Amino acid sequence: MSGGFNEIHPEPTTFISKYIISFDHKVIAKQFLWYGILFLGIGGIMALLIRWTLAYPGVPFPILGPLLFPDSAGVVPPDTYAMLFTMHGTIMIFYAITPILIGAFGNYCIPLMIGARDMAFPMLNMLSFWFAAASALVVLISLCTPLGSAAGGWTSYPTLSTMIGSPGSGQTLWCLAIFLLGISSTMGAVNYVTTVITLRAPGMGYFDMPLTVWGLWLTAILNAIFVPVLGAGVMLLMMDRVMGTTFFLAGASATAGTGDPVLFQHVFWIFGHPEVYILILPAWGIVSDLLSFFSRKPAFGAKATALSMTAVSILSTLVYGHHMFTTQMSPLLTQSFMTLTMTISIPSAIFFANWLGTIWKGSIRFDSPMLFSLGVVFVFGLGGLTGLHLGTVTTDLYLHDTYFVVGHFHYTMAASVLLGGYAGIYFWFPKMFGRMMNETLAKIHFWGTMIPLNGIFFGMLMVGYGGMHRRIYNPFVYESLQRLIPINMMITWSAILMGAFQIIFVWNFLMSLKKGPKASNNPWEVGTLEWTIPSPPVHHNYDVIPVVKCGPHEFGNPNLKNGRDFQYQTEELVRG
Amino acid sequence: MKRLDLQSNLAMTVTITGFSMFFATLMMGYAIYRSSSTFWPPMGFSKVSLTIPSISTFLILLSSWFCYQIKGNVKAHDFKKARLNLNLTLVLGFSFMVAQSFFWSELKASGLYVDSGIFASILYAYTWIHAAHVLAGILSLVYLSIMLKPSDDRMLIKAVNVEKFWHFLGAVWLMMFLTLFVY
Repeated sequence: MSGGFNEIHPEPTTFISKYIISFDHKVIAKQFLWYGILFLGIGGIMALLIRWTLAYPGVPFPILGPLLFPDSAGVVPPDTYAMLFTMHGTIMIFYAITPILIGAFGNYCIPLMIGARDMAFPMLNMLSFWFAAASALVVLISLCTPLGSAAGGWTSYPTLSTMIGSPGSGQTLWCLAIFLLGISSTMGAVNYVTTVITLRAPGMGYFDMPLTVWGLWLTAILNAIFVPVLGAGVMLLMMDRVMGTTFFLAGASATAGTGDPVLFQHVFWIFGHPEVYILILPAWGIVSDLLSFFSRKPAFGAKATALSMTAVSILSTLVYGHHMFTTQMSPLLTQSFMTLTMTISIPSAIFFANWLGTIWKGSIRFDSPMLFSLGVVFVFGLGGLTGLHLGTVTTDLYLHDTYFVVGHFHYTMAASVLLGGYAGIYFWFPKMFGRMMNETLAKIHFWGTMIPLNGIFFGMLMVGYGGMHRRIYNPFVYESLQRLIPINMMITWSAILMGAFQIIFVWNFLMSLKKGPKASNNPWEVGTLEWTIPSPPVHHNYDVIPVVKCGPHEFGNPNLKNGRDFQYQTEELVRG
Repeated sequence: MKRLDLQSNLAMTVTITGFSMFFATLMMGYAIYRSSSTFWPPMGFSKVSLTIPSISTFLILLSSWFCYQIKGNVKAHDFKKARLNLNLTLVLGFSFMVAQSFFWSELKASGLYVDSGIFASILYAYTWIHAAHVLAGILSLVYLSIMLKPSDDRMLIKAVNVEKFWHFLGAVWLMMFLTLFVY
């Protein structure tokens, strides 16, 4: 049912109601954006600490090292190393990618792109942000506890994450933080799903929605279904740690009827595999739209792309076992999971081919959002292909828990999502803040990110294939791995370089907020609904709810006579 | 107005889907513990008495029946009856919580503590988690009680949504009663 949303909460008048407990989806989106960028910085510094330790074991971390680790003269200690890789993963996935891709773009784009005045439940939206903020506070507090933060890996497998493996309150606070974030995500999901179904502008069918909205909508559906699964897992883990239950304890510590540590792995990955798609679907949607916008061509097979993304979402719920091939699973099960995993290649290949079909013979404009989108096409291709090695039982048995896995999931979840996120930020910045970002700096930022990024993650694939395991403080105590030190140094210097180039982004972002040239209503010459209104939009978005008359990718129509090569969605499709 | 009702209805459906996945995960865990165990209850434990859990089941199912009436009363603009049914639902909901606390005391008295192994872990943790949700259900009933007035033209959807959530809690308890206690 579509038909637009005519009611709107009153415009806020005080600083607190405008910027702190705002009901406005645009403000909440910006809150999530700042939140995500802050944690991207924290997680990034943690990554540098990890990389330095792997390239120069025993050497103090320059500048920050002596301040952070005075007891070890600036060298990252082994227990801190375990906390660093745990919290790097946790922060990047739950506190950087999730708020930017889902919180910021979801909130900003969904109402504007479907022609609504706000989300279906503005107050729930506000609560969703503040639950996320409370969760962030708990996670930051966990870093300051006496025995330090969680250190059992971002997956928090028992028994590493039980009181035996992780004494102290750090891991308990981790569980609490994830539970709170789960509540926030579920609230967001309820809102997104309902908003897309009920508040589309009159005339906007599901296939008239931009693919960005498709990606965010599918993400919300997966979130609503699978985040509670993790919620149940961390709730039981928390009870094991605080109340003395024995769900995930086995053996001597739970002699009277034992628990099952592997059960947590099942629960974690039933959530965890869809989570991969929860993170990447918004990026796929954004890239699918931007490739069309900047190729000045209709999105090739847009319906097939939307349906393929839907098929991937459905299949993502059936493949989690490929994360657990080495847990003595029955061969019958491993082969079933392998086959289902391979099946995901089919819809993925369809929309990947559609991306190529979209840019094929297009009049490509190499603006920064397009550069980042093309970057996603490249890195996601690599990430997808390396997934085949890990989804196949025989090769996974060798590659499991090596840096090959780290390289693979960074290509898919980190590189693709990061570049997709940057594409989105550069693209919607003018609409969000009413100013343009500096294009030259954006392009320098792209190349300064893209080249070192491949140095890092391809390097990881190489050392992983060479046999280097993940999560080892100093892998080079094993003589056979010492030959990998030079590649590790290359990875680390690539990471430092990439980190340095992010300063350009932060500078450009902050300076453009203040001094960027004023943006017009439609600086990219795109026809989706948000570009029909002023930049930035007024409080209620649309004075009159728009009526949609054509799709979001109407470019290069030879019948157009008005000097434009695109049509707004509010215009009747021009026919010959 | 219809659109607002559709929104509320959809939102509650999505919310209950999420809660269902939460409890389904717990029940999957139970199924795995139970099916991978040679004996159930594990050696050294015996089945718990069915008396109090049966009373709890009776109370929550009866409360669902009264809750079911509210919607019809609101539709018929019989707000006196609606309030009566709502109050009866609330009283039975509270009684369920009281019965549960007796159940936990009984477990303790029989020497079964929360740290007595996986059997006790499941009995305590699952009933605690369910009780926490019942508490949320009671709060939503209290909210409905405060909001219950003929002048509110969105009364029906509010009653329908609270009813859905309450029935869901009853259904979860029934499943837990049959699998954790009876079977």
